[in-house]
Amino acid sequence: MTATSVNPKSPARTRIRVNRLVLYTALVVITGLFLGPFGWLILTGLKAPAELAAAPVHWLPTHFEWHNFVDAYRAIDFLGYARNSLIIATIYATLVTLSSAWVGFGFARLTAPGKKVLFGILIGSMMLPQMITLLPTYLIFAKFGMVDTYWPWVLWGLSSAPYLVFLFRQFFAGLPRELEEAAVVDGCGYGGIFWRIFLPQSWPVLSASFVIAFTWTWGDYIAPQLLLSTDHSTLAVAVMTTYVSAAGTPNTNLQAAASVMYVVPILLIFLVAQRGFVAGMSTSGLK
Amino acid sequence: MHPHAGAPLSRRRFLALSATGAAAGAAALNGCALQVSTGVGAAGETVTVMAKADDLNPDLIGQARKDTGIAIKRVDYDITKLIAMLTSGNPPDLVRGVGAVDAAFYAARDVMQELDSYFATSSVLRPDDLDPVNDLWRYDGKVQGKGPRYGMAKDFSQDSMYWFNTAAFDKKGVAYPSEDTPITFDEWLDHAQHLVQRSKGQTTVFGGSYNGLVKLTLMATMTASAGGSLFADDFSKVDFTTPEARQALAWYLDYCKLKVGPSPVLPDPNGWDGPTYQAGRMAMSNNGYWMGGMIGTDKKLAEVSRLAPAPVFAGGPRISACQGGTGMWMPRKSRNKDAAWRVFEWYFGEAPAKTRASSGWGIPTLKSLRPLMPHQEDFQKRTLSAQENELKHFSVVAISPYISGDAFESLFNQAATPAMQGELSVDRLAGRLNSVINKQIKRGKEQVG
Repeated sequence: MTATSVNPKSPARTRIRVNRLVLYTALVVITGLFLGPFGWLILTGLKAPAELAAAPVHWLPTHFEWHNFVDAYRAIDFLGYARNSLIIATIYATLVTLSSAWVGFGFARLTAPGKKVLFGILIGSMMLPQMITLLPTYLIFAKFGMVDTYWPWVLWGLSSAPYLVFLFRQFFAGLPRELEEAAVVDGCGYGGIFWRIFLPQSWPVLSASFVIAFTWTWGDYIAPQLLLSTDHSTLAVAVMTTYVSAAGTPNTNLQAAASVMYVVPILLIFLVAQRGFVAGMSTSGLK
Repeated sequence: MHPHAGAPLSRRRFLALSATGAAAGAAALNGCALQVSTGVGAAGETVTVMAKADDLNPDLIGQARKDTGIAIKRVDYDITKLIAMLTSGNPPDLVRGVGAVDAAFYAARDVMQELDSYFATSSVLRPDDLDPVNDLWRYDGKVQGKGPRYGMAKDFSQDSMYWFNTAAFDKKGVAYPSEDTPITFDEWLDHAQHLVQRSKGQTTVFGGSYNGLVKLTLMATMTASAGGSLFADDFSKVDFTTPEARQALAWYLDYCKLKVGPSPVLPDPNGWDGPTYQAGRMAMSNNGYWMGGMIGTDKKLAEVSRLAPAPVFAGGPRISACQGGTGMWMPRKSRNKDAAWRVFEWYFGEAPAKTRASSGWGIPTLKSLRPLMPHQEDFQKRTLSAQENELKHFSVVAISPYISGDAFESLFNQAATPAMQGELSVDRLAGRLNSVINKQIKRGKEQVG
């Protein structure tokens, strides 16, 4: 140990330790607050129906009813609904990521009359509540015979999403102009600049965009409920509506178990894409 | 076009542009709502039914195909989807509905198919076999309960009745209510006050619940029990300031303020009475015969459970209405009416109806199915006896066609919450309710024309 090193019992070292203790305690508390509802969901999924109404509240199940998860899985065509969700979410997330990147590139790197107004309208459409557009949306798709098909998700995907366009626009705007100029000198058009130069550099944003879009669609209840019949609907709709007894009373414990299973794929995707997701959000200038 | 690196947006500019875009988008979407014509309807022997999962589960759908040869395509019941389908001209062939609140509402808007001609020729659903509760699905253009039939209930209860737990009464030394003679609402509330149990500021046992099915039917039936009517003769207004409506409103506010049972200011986390009552945490539960289906499956609970008549107001008539009457109706623009009627007959008069009748989850809506009601065990005999006695006091309490149950519920809870907490007098609330609800009714009347 040198003369300049910090003594383990020095006030500075103690202060650092106290600060860390406070920080970690705060982080643990905040993490607990965020995990609390999910933990309660898991515990509810492990309880017998009678325990759900117990007073005082049973924090932990008297007996862990693991079979609730099996029952929840068997009570509906769980895999079938999950497959529908996966198809819709994958179609939409892939298409909307590419289309939003393309639109974002245009807004970031090209000039045209009225671009700023167009961008304002695009961003303003984020303020439009989904409920307002529901009825016209249904009527339009009904007119074209697209109700009870997955075509709406294809069209929505090809139409880009304002938030994701904003995300890409911010990212592309930050890339050096020299890259683009060098490509132009080499004879590359804007399509080539986008595909060969900008897109390969935007993996963090692509990853973030895909995760966001996938999560939106996987968790969306309103659109599939409106546009799909029961057999073709998604897991989100099925979990919300089908765990009832023949008399119409809710099977809360099975619904909780199903909800846990419903959330798992999203958690896995986030864990896998976490690094890219965080990098994408930070490099796009959004936090 | 020239290469251009976009500049970051300032917050102020972002908000300004956003507001412009939102206004433009909303205007554009408003314009296109009514311009779309019909879509493609159901064809052949496939009937589209808008219902909940418990109305038509996959087993029942399979059985329908076997029994009738007709395929059923179920779409989840959803009011937004129903409006969208009706507007697009491609409605379901049958729709779930709650007779008490939906029948007059939709019939007045001319979207329901009159079913009298179908009933007249049916050998399964004969008019003389229909229980009077099906009159909830009749509307003559002015009053619910008369005129053409627009639908039918699948089963029913008299929803002002209540169950009580004798063990809870024994524990507090309170005498049991009669199972054939009604007690008054004041006596009921007095019992609830004696039966409620609290610990450390938490309610561990509710003295009783009394919320009806929805506030619209609760207030209408309680006002009828006080000898009056919540609505004007032409159903174009409510009046909470009449002595009878005020009496009903005051009682309900007392119930909420005393916090003896679940209410908008003391919600039950279970969402409905069943689990709470089953856990021994509710001494009285305002539910009719149908909850016996749940109670009957729990022998210990059945031993201590009794069904009691609907309470009355002192000096008032004995009214025991059905506040639900859940069933189905056929949209006027259904593309497959004959096949839909066949499914209707099957659902309300054949195998599913018989299964429902024998389950104990509600009274059958065909008189001929009454013998199927559970009557073997002591609990079943006792319950059936109380129920048969109560049926003599059934009547239809007509509801205004100009307001939906959801709209009334929302307006009532919003206006009444301060009064439920003791921060607003009954009379001021009555005036406020008249104001907000009559505005909504006026809008509804303008829609109907």
